[in-house]
Amino acid sequence: MELKFFWAQVRDLTVASLKSRYRKTFAGFIWVVLNPLLMFGVQSLVFKTFMRIQVPDYNLFLLGGLLPWIFFSSTIQMTTPLFVTQSHLLRSFKINPMVIFGSQVLDNFINFVASFLLIVLPFYLTTGRDFSTLLLLPLALIPLLIGTLSIGVALSTINVFFRDTNFVMGFIFNLLFYVTPVFYPKEYIPTNWQWIVDFNPAVYLLNPFRSLIYFGDGTFWMATLKGFVVSLVLFLTAVIIWKRKRNAFYHKL
Amino acid sequence: MPSTTNSELLLSVKNLKVHFELEHYQHHGLRDVFVSAITHPVEFFLKKPELLNVIDDVSFDVTRGMRLGLLGVNGSGKTTLCRCLAGMMVAQSGSITTDAEVRAIFDTGTGILPELTGRENAFLLARLFFPEIKDLRPLVNEALEFSELGHFLDVPFRQYSKGMQARLMLSLISAKSTDVLILDEVLDGADYFFQQKLSVRMRNFIKSAGATIFVSHSADQVREVCDQVLVMNKGKIGFMGGVEEGLDYYHKNLAPVS
Repeated sequence: MELKFFWAQVRDLTVASLKSRYRKTFAGFIWVVLNPLLMFGVQSLVFKTFMRIQVPDYNLFLLGGLLPWIFFSSTIQMTTPLFVTQSHLLRSFKINPMVIFGSQVLDNFINFVASFLLIVLPFYLTTGRDFSTLLLLPLALIPLLIGTLSIGVALSTINVFFRDTNFVMGFIFNLLFYVTPVFYPKEYIPTNWQWIVDFNPAVYLLNPFRSLIYFGDGTFWMATLKGFVVSLVLFLTAVIIWKRKRNAFYHKL
Repeated sequence: MPSTTNSELLLSVKNLKVHFELEHYQHHGLRDVFVSAITHPVEFFLKKPELLNVIDDVSFDVTRGMRLGLLGVNGSGKTTLCRCLAGMMVAQSGSITTDAEVRAIFDTGTGILPELTGRENAFLLARLFFPEIKDLRPLVNEALEFSELGHFLDVPFRQYSKGMQARLMLSLISAKSTDVLILDEVLDGADYFFQQKLSVRMRNFIKSAGATIFVSHSADQVREVCDQVLVMNKGKIGFMGGVEEGLDYYHKNLAPVS
């Protein structure tokens, strides 16, 4: 029952914020698809055409990593300042802070789905892959959603106390992009550097998606299992941080 | 229907304690933390944070029909106490026992999405206030009509004056009664409280609530609304009892000299 109420609140808030954003201008929505499309286009040009990375169906390979990466990094950068920017609302009456959070993640997820349908699907179908494999897509996205939400909640809570968190994270995400196998396969990394990937939580959240739409083989199940484990650890960490800080949170806002 | 038996317990607070860690106030940003961890590592990792006791062993009961005024100077723990009662904050020790629906309002200037119209914000606020109601239209429409904001309802909320914001918000919250109502300074120093129509509605709303906890700095409002007073003093209960004695205690011991 509680969950039903929660969902109704998240849904209404998301619909309203979409309305608020796109009322004045339709450009916003075009940008939602244009932004990943341009990022994809430039990276494909640079890495495939200029640097000649040798990966079959490189465009689909790249999209398999880039799209979830954009969701992951942009959601976290949008949610990190959320508790601070919405502090007035949170202090005014009892509202589950997770509603605001859920709504922002859902908002970004809608963007993700839009760019999946408009950008990935055409590539997927033209490379002659099996359509029915895509039925497993929800399973591949659960770890990504839970993991992203958890990191976002944790960072947003920390940002209440240390207001430069978002600034620092912007910097860290810039670095993280290069050490996360998004535009190159992780096999390119020498064995003595593999630990960089092993200790990078983002890798585990992104992998199931690429594994499904690009490799489309048995690696999917292992990648998804690892994704679930990592997202569960992130989730529990976020719960601990939230529980420890939620009082001081109101005090400090 | 106001009950005549004053003994029914709606909410019970036992030995409530809330403290904050003061460590957060020493750093302004993650970069400061990073620097102090490097320059003073021993201190940084071993020093225990100082604690600030905001609520210090508070116990009281709220029974049906009670109109409890909550007084105290700024920083005495009134709002923290209200936030605990509303379930927004969680105490480190002690307990709050209640089966009642508790609704708490701390501010009336809240538009969720200021770019949207007052009407759209009202529906959104109603969804957050009353998650259990499936079809919000009858309730919101009644509240909007009552607010008499007329064509302003279709103007973006950010263009509202403070008074209009409060009118919208108060019309909305008072559209459905609740078991325990907490109003934290929301009617303070506002002329709309004395605006006849809204004031009658707010009074009826307070009357229709099972119990009310009313935080205010205005002695007149406390006299009018409350039949009991609890005075907070540095996180503890300084006084609990009749309104006049409570106001007396507050003015003699705590109120800032003006």
